[in-house]
Parts: sequence; structure tokens; C-alpha cells
Amino acid sequence: MSKLLKRALKISLTPAILMVAGKFLGILIPTLMFDIEFAVQNEMIGISSIQILYPNSATTLFINSISNLVMLVLIAVPTIYLIIKTSLYQSTLQNPRTIVKITKLNILNWITKKNSSFLQIFIWSSFLLVTASIIIVHTIQNMTYTWIGVSSGVMAFFCIWGTIRTFELEIAKIYPEEKNYY
Amino acid sequence: METRKEKTKRIFGQILEPFALGLLALLFILPAITVINLTPITNELKKLNVLGVTTQGDVVINLVGGSHEIFTEEILNKIDDEGYDYSVRLNKRGADSYSKPILKIENRTEEAAKIFFFGQTLTNTNSTISMIIDKEHFMIQNSKGETFDNEIEILPGQNITLFLALENLSGVQFSEIFDLSIKIR
Repeated sequence: MSKLLKRALKISLTPAILMVAGKFLGILIPTLMFDIEFAVQNEMIGISSIQILYPNSATTLFINSISNLVMLVLIAVPTIYLIIKTSLYQSTLQNPRTIVKITKLNILNWITKKNSSFLQIFIWSSFLLVTASIIIVHTIQNMTYTWIGVSSGVMAFFCIWGTIRTFELEIAKIYPEEKNYY
Repeated sequence: METRKEKTKRIFGQILEPFALGLLALLFILPAITVINLTPITNELKKLNVLGVTTQGDVVINLVGGSHEIFTEEILNKIDDEGYDYSVRLNKRGADSYSKPILKIENRTEEAAKIFFFGQTLTNTNSTISMIIDKEHFMIQNSKGETFDNEIEILPGQNITLFLALENLSGVQFSEIFDLSIKIR
């Protein structure tokens, strides 16, 4: 089995768990916090085998929105962190001014190659894309607040852009542009 | 020169590779399906009440359920220890009389229980709505839209079935929601 595949499997586990945990906690916490009545039903409806039922549509909208927001934050924050970290790391290699800025901000220890690679960013961004797609579909179906749908769309867009930018930087290491030699 | 152990490892790895790819795909698909599964809903709430709700005094109220052309989307919700809300959609209909068994009430206590009913529709469609219990009619809302309170007594161990009856002299071209408040004392 290739090392790339092994690594991809290893990296994918964390966002997969976080995605489900985020949704679950996002339902559980507000339900307990606001003491909202709910019920669980097991019935095959399409691909859905379990249904969490709330007494009215306003409560359902609130709970679904909060759970989607928690899920989005849990996936988006590490993705953005990885993209920024890798971009800064790559930038320090090419631009001495970045090193000066980072030294001034005293975050030199933070900018390391450790635990950040294009594969990791790609997988986390893919999970963010899946999460954002679910949230956008829910927003179109009026099952989530519009601002959460818009936020997820914007985050997904910037993370895709960040992933492409990281890919370009990685490629530039292998095939440097000619102008860099002069 | 490749040793036997290395060769076995390599072949084993090659066999495992397609499964690993499938597993990787599953790692994306399964959380997505789980998240969709965990999405809360409201429109199936009526099914929650099919098994019935029990008061502290053990007066059990069950939805009869079943399908009916005119009476749809039945919901029974417990408001507090003594109060329940029942709602049903009355669909568009021709000039006629309709009825459907809606609730089963069982008094499991050692004392007689009094049940109070009050119901109405949001709009007046000149329909007469009444409750039939043991062939006896209890007017809930008349054709002018006037509403009436009703009270019945259920003896210890008694089971009753409530029928909702609807009568209109002209056709109704739109659906309406009928709400019924139930109090147990």
C-alpha cells in the first residue's frame, strides 16, 4: 500500500470525526441548554434511518442552524490554520521580509514544516467543501439561517483558493519560475 | 534481492490498496450521510405520538392514526401534565358529512377522570365540527364559527374512542387547520 494512501487515510480520520462530533454536539448542547423537547425516531426515509424530531419549525431551524455552525467552525478553523501556517512557511523560504515580520510578531516557533503539508490542506479543504455543500443545501431548503449558509460559502471559497495557492507554492519548489534564478 | 517476507508484504500491500481507496472514499461519504441523518425535522412529529402519551394520573391518550382523504397531518402534543393539543388538517372537500376516529383515551386510574375539550379552526368555512363519543354528539364549532366547551367523564378502566365529525352544506376549496385543546382533571 502506498505511503500517500496511508497518510491520506490517517489525515482523513480527524476531520471525519470532527464533522460528526460537531453536528452531534451542535444538536445536544442547545437542546440541553434551552431544555428543548425532542424525540428520536427510527424509520427508513430515503437514506435517513434516524430522525431527531422537534415540536415546531422555529426550534428545528434554530437547532439545525446552530449544529451546522458548530460543524462548520470545527472544520474551518483547523483548515484556515493549516493554510495560513503553510503559506507563511513557504513565504519565509522565498521572502526575507516575511521572516522579519514573523520575528517581530514572535511566532517563529509556530511557523514550522511540522504537521502541515499540501495533502493535509487538500483533505481538510475537501471536508470543508462537503460541510459547506450540506449547509448551503440546508439554507436553500430554509433549514438553516441564511447568514450561516453565506458564511460557509465564503469560507469554502477562500479555503479552495488557499489550497490552490498552496499547491502552486509546492509546485514552485519543484519547478521554480525562471525569474527566481536572476 | 527481495526476501520472502518483503515479497509477501508487497503483495499484501497491493491487495489492500483498492480496499484502502474504498475506505478513504467512505471516510468522506459516511460523515456526510451521518450529518444528513442527524438533521432535525418537525414534519414527522406526529409519528412520535403514535405510541401515546401518559399523564401522571395514568390517563392514556393515543392517536388512532391511519389515513383519511379529508383528515390529514394529525399531531398530538403534550403541553403539560394535564394538557394536550391535537391538530389536524381538514382538506378541501365537497358538501357532505365526514368523520374519523382520532383519539383513544383510556383511564387507568382508580377514579373517574374528567376530560375538557375546546377546539376551533382559524378560518370559518361554514362547517359544523363536532365530536362523537359513544354515538353521542358534542358540538365543538357550529357553522357560524361559534365554539363550545365540552366535558366528558371517563370511568376507571374505561376506554373511549373520539370521532371527529365534519359537516358542510357547500364545498370548501381550501384546507384548514383544526386545533383541539384537551384538559384532564
